[in-house]
Amino acid sequence: MPPAAAAYDVAMLSSAAPGLSLGRALRLRWRSAWAVLNLGALVLALGLSPSTYRRPWRVPLAAQVVRAAWPLLPWFTLLAAIVSLVLTRIVLVTAQSYGLSQYALEMVVRVLVLELIPLTAALAVALRVTLPMAAELAQWRLQGALDDARSRGQDPLRGLIAPRALAGLFAVLLLAAVAGTVALVLAYVLAHGLSPWALERYARMVGHVFSPAVSLVFVLKTAALALAVSVVPIGTALHGRAGGGQGALEVQGLTRMFLAALLVEVAGLAGNYL
Amino acid sequence: MTEPLPLPVAAAPEHLERRAALLLVLLAVLVTASIGFVLYARGAFEATQRVVLVADDSEGVVVGMDLTFSGFPIGRVRRTELAADGSVRIVVDVPVKDAHWLRTSSVFTLTRNLVGGTAIKAYSGVPADPPLPAGAERRVLSGDAAAEIPRIMADVRALLANLTALTAPDAALAGTLDNVQRLTGRIDDKLGGKRGALDLLLGDEAPRLVQTLARTSQLLADVGGLVRRADQQLLGEQGLLADTQAAVKQAGALLGQARDSLQKVDAVLKEAEAVARNARVASTDLGALRADVEASLRKVDMLVNDVNRLWPLKRDPEIKLP
Repeated sequence: MPPAAAAYDVAMLSSAAPGLSLGRALRLRWRSAWAVLNLGALVLALGLSPSTYRRPWRVPLAAQVVRAAWPLLPWFTLLAAIVSLVLTRIVLVTAQSYGLSQYALEMVVRVLVLELIPLTAALAVALRVTLPMAAELAQWRLQGALDDARSRGQDPLRGLIAPRALAGLFAVLLLAAVAGTVALVLAYVLAHGLSPWALERYARMVGHVFSPAVSLVFVLKTAALALAVSVVPIGTALHGRAGGGQGALEVQGLTRMFLAALLVEVAGLAGNYL
Repeated sequence: MTEPLPLPVAAAPEHLERRAALLLVLLAVLVTASIGFVLYARGAFEATQRVVLVADDSEGVVVGMDLTFSGFPIGRVRRTELAADGSVRIVVDVPVKDAHWLRTSSVFTLTRNLVGGTAIKAYSGVPADPPLPAGAERRVLSGDAAAEIPRIMADVRALLANLTALTAPDAALAGTLDNVQRLTGRIDDKLGGKRGALDLLLGDEAPRLVQTLARTSQLLADVGGLVRRADQQLLGEQGLLADTQAAVKQAGALLGQARDSLQKVDAVLKEAEAVARNARVASTDLGALRADVEASLRKVDMLVNDVNRLWPLKRDPEIKLP
């Protein structure tokens, strides 16, 4: 049995009528969550298999990647630049007024690059990319189009679902990388102007912030956020309780995504600062 | 019947794949550059040499913190470990290009600030000394701002206790202030009268003091007049000074006359001296004369003796013993 078929079985179970006993509801919820995790693992496995990047599967993937990242990139970069500018300026001026300017840049890097930018990138991708994609998939699921495709011998997982999830994942990573770079450059320019003579010390400070442990937590957290915002809404759209229709599925996906992002953020903070 | 799904087709628009490739390359470049930058920033590409700093306490020392020289970071703490004797070994990696700042005579300090982290600093007093060899062990001097706090707190507590004692309701200061307040109140009351604080200080004696002051003032005015008159008499045209000058002139003239008189006396004395000299000669002659007279008298005596011997009326020269 292909993995996608198992996932659909679970979806059918979990979309049973309301009014279940608590134990059964919990069991259904757990199975639904498990199905989402399963989908995440499948997406990751597909993302790591070279065949995904060969024709014919490269085509839908490329289409979804461009759809996810191309329109969002300029706007998000601009937004991140403005927010970075404002926050950096505030932190620098405030720190200077307290006589703590030597800690200002470190704080900017920690707050912006380590904490705010990955979260913002993930939320932007979720709102602009993966939630609409999840809505699309939920609509197809409720229309029965996915089942039809399967019955025709097509593979919706590789052709429709995985490209979307991978595109969301990729978009989060790309936006976080671009915005992080922009924030680092802006922080330097705001603190030292265009002079190149503070580069060495700035690099040292950044190296000081990105200690191995912090870097590891940062990478893991960004990856986990990317996974959460791309897999959870799509997985919920496919495996959530479909009793309330498409709108209910979307709300369910949104809630679970926020919960997952919150858990990732808390785990990241605990890893960094505990 | 459902709509056909947009399932994969064999070929996609050319620009779609190009854009996707562009985005992938951008992500790859950014991630690679970030990793490279962080590795560079953490000194992964620098050749380093090791300095071991030995301290008593590793509190505040964290792996990755800087060793600074004149405020410039020249090394990173790589590891801290506990030595067999209980001291702390702080292993610092110093890039070879910065190692020349450290000399054999360099001093290392570990300071803990109240705000901000612990700092390890190096001081090289004699730049001409030989460079610090790789792997050298140096003792680090500790300075702890927080260690001063308990002592300062004890002092502050003592100070506060003193202040409390000073400001207590039954303290001497409060009594003094109370007195001052009453005093100032009385001054305020008395200020309505003529003499104000003077009344307060002297009570009933105050009018006498005022009287005395008035008299003194009068006296001073009189003395002023007196002095003015004395001045007039002393220094005026008919004053004592002018008379004195005339008298001095007269005295000068008198002295001149006295000198003349003395010269005359001198001449008289000279004459007297000449007279005395003549008198001395005369007295010499008198001596000879006296000798003559004495010789004549001796002859007369001898003559009388002869007469007596020859004369019958001679006396009995017998000596009768009793």
